[in-house]
Amino acid sequence: MIKDIVYSLRLLLPAVIPSWRFFDIIAPSPRIEYRLLAIAKPQEAGQAENEPDWREFRPRPDNVSVGRMMRRMVWNPNWNQSLFLVSCAERLAAYGSSHAETEIQTNIGVALNEEGANPEGYPFFQFRLIFISRVEDRITKEVEFLSPVYSCSEAYSI
Amino acid sequence: MTLDFAVRATEILLGLAFLQQSIEYLLSNRRLHLLFLARVGMCLLLISGFQTGWVLVGLAVLSLGMLYRFDGPYNGGSDRMSLLVLACLLLVHFLPESHWQELAFGYLAVQLVLSYFISGWVKIVNPAWRNGRALQDVFLYSAYPVSESLRAFAARPTLLFGASWMVMLFELIFPFSLLTQPSLIAGLLIAALFHFLNACFFGLNRFFWIWLAAYPSIIWLQGRLFGGSALLG
Repeated sequence: MIKDIVYSLRLLLPAVIPSWRFFDIIAPSPRIEYRLLAIAKPQEAGQAENEPDWREFRPRPDNVSVGRMMRRMVWNPNWNQSLFLVSCAERLAAYGSSHAETEIQTNIGVALNEEGANPEGYPFFQFRLIFISRVEDRITKEVEFLSPVYSCSEAYSI
Repeated sequence: MTLDFAVRATEILLGLAFLQQSIEYLLSNRRLHLLFLARVGMCLLLISGFQTGWVLVGLAVLSLGMLYRFDGPYNGGSDRMSLLVLACLLLVHFLPESHWQELAFGYLAVQLVLSYFISGWVKIVNPAWRNGRALQDVFLYSAYPVSESLRAFAARPTLLFGASWMVMLFELIFPFSLLTQPSLIAGLLIAALFHFLNACFFGLNRFFWIWLAAYPSIIWLQGRLFGGSALLG
């Protein structure tokens, strides 16, 4: 209990003595991608016929109207959740945070169940983190993390 | 602006900002309902002005719980500013002498100025910001643009070069706006517009509301430093 309080106070410190170094460098930017799997073993799933492709989790829309931008001034939950998951992806890639991994796993599990994105016959999923960056004049993408395979229903119930 | 009025204005703006954040979370997540319901209740009490000192203590406890639960801030810089405003208001309420209360509230104002100045400084010392490439990268591949169509701005380097310099210069000269009240009001209006555009382009709506909550502190400090007796006198 005391350890938890001390840990929370340690997290508070950067707020009370902030650094305010917003956008000082444009760091490699994470994207979360997932794929649905019919079976729990990714190697076998990879060889299976009709292997589902990796798809971006919560991709941004092509356009956002001015009216929608105005509404988002007071109601922007999905985007703020996506920004939280960007932080989680950075923490997971930087120091293997198990908390961040669970958050991403749970959010994908909830989205698959509640948003009806999980078709019949694919009870498992896996996610990976892609980091996009500029190397001189080229934009590069690197896979920095590949998760284990999770059960959709278990991820939903965490 | 008196200290009491500025503190009360900050409490109301903080309450509204927290209320917006909490309702947003409550209605879109199936977890932590109890924590965010308690937060909504405390926000309403804070806005109404009922037992504000103890309500602030309650909000601070909930904020620590959230930090623990999310393993850090939920929304980076905006949550850090939220905690800073909350911490300074707490000190104002519980420090015994008005002299110390003024220093606590002044600390919030100084941090607000630094939030612009340091952001400008770390950009201008970076060649990628000076030649516009950093802002180009923000639009090209960062996670922030709210739509794919906004990424097209990355193909307009001249526009982004100009925008980069406008942002850097504004952030760096912001402290000078403190010299007179009209210049400070102008500076705060431009700053609010900057946060508004960030909210539109990058979805950073929480920054807009929480930075607004810190503005009464700087308006009060400007009056205190340049319109009356010295803060440390």
